[in-house]
Amino acid sequence: MIVDKIKKRNLPEKNKKTRIDIPVGKWAKCEKCKEIIYKETLRENLSVCPNCGHYFRMHINKRLESIIDKDTYKKFDINIETSNPLELEDYPKKLKSLREKTGIEEAVSAGTGKINGEDVVICIMDSGFLMGSMGVVVGEKITYAVEQAIEKRLPLIIFAASGGARMQEGIISLMQMAKTTAALTKLDQAGLLYISVLTDPTYGGVTASFASLGDIVLAEPGAMIGFAGKRVIEQTIGEQLPDGFQTAEFLLEHGFIDKIVERKDLKDTLSKLISFHKGGEK
Amino acid sequence: MQKKGDNGEAIAKLMFEMAKLEVPIIAIVIGEGSSGGALALGVGNKVLMLENAIYSILSPEGYSSILWKDSSRYKEAAEKMKLTAKDLYDLKIIDKIIKEPEGEGAFEKIAGNLKKEIKSSISEMNSKSKEQIVEERYCKFRNMGEYIKLEN
Repeated sequence: MIVDKIKKRNLPEKNKKTRIDIPVGKWAKCEKCKEIIYKETLRENLSVCPNCGHYFRMHINKRLESIIDKDTYKKFDINIETSNPLELEDYPKKLKSLREKTGIEEAVSAGTGKINGEDVVICIMDSGFLMGSMGVVVGEKITYAVEQAIEKRLPLIIFAASGGARMQEGIISLMQMAKTTAALTKLDQAGLLYISVLTDPTYGGVTASFASLGDIVLAEPGAMIGFAGKRVIEQTIGEQLPDGFQTAEFLLEHGFIDKIVERKDLKDTLSKLISFHKGGEK
Repeated sequence: MQKKGDNGEAIAKLMFEMAKLEVPIIAIVIGEGSSGGALALGVGNKVLMLENAIYSILSPEGYSSILWKDSSRYKEAAEKMKLTAKDLYDLKIIDKIIKEPEGEGAFEKIAGNLKKEIKSSISEMNSKSKEQIVEERYCKFRNMGEYIKLEN
């Protein structure tokens, strides 16, 4: 014990630094094929497993990097926080610790940017923040983004990744579905393009509002998309659901999704769709 | 081909179309209303609610199962969720509570109260233009949910 203490005290500054640099946490495990992957390799491969092609869920910053032209993203200046309508004791603490842990303010980031030179309003959700759930802050940011798209006459892109409405804000979260949907009717009436990109997972109140309302609905391969989860439906109706139920591929076959696009092709697909739809503008 | 697993889309599309309706919508919660199915029919210019009805994001069982991974805590969930007519009135989610007197002739009395409220809602909105009806409903849902503005 004493020897340990002496060792610690005598540790030169330089060595201390080296110790911090040891690459702990630089490896990730693929949950599908169990392969251990070097995080840098994973990053370069847009968070897709180089071994089996499994799609990892993406952090907002990584998604922005992969879609938006470098240094063009300008986050909207809306700095707001939930009023904690159900007065839950732990909820504000939970949000605070999540902000510190994830480095993001909330489950969505909204702003303007360029995709291969095309101006867009873009919202990106992150399932790493309280399962990407939609409370008043997420609802407000998305609604504001829709309004900005109308004001600036720009196409709107929303990357959905969410478990649904945020339980911690109760009925207020439910109302965000009505709020975002109503805003989208105005976008529609303004004749502007809205592309919804569904990523894993897209569920609940997010599926049942803005995520389903794109003029064009794209999805990433293998993404799970639905309203209620498969297990809940099976238990409720007492029936076995078909294989592949709620996968992007199943939904494409059944007409809900227009196209499944691989992550590496998303940026080019989006810019092509945007430029293609510009023709009708006055 | 039959579309499967798209009730989420049905809810979204219904709210989307209802937001454009140029006639007044009166939604009344008369029993247990929860989740997207209730909301899809609840996007009214006026949302009325019977005194003893409940309206919530999810059933208390589902809520406690998701939030605490324990559906047996449904009573506690029901207490916390603010799902009573009074709570929802205070949260500005509903516009009016319809009294439900008990005792003899209760049903007739409640129906009478409801009828009176529907009539007065209609006559109040009758004087409004189509644009006003759409815009007022939009503003009502646009402003749902209070938040705190933070200093930069």
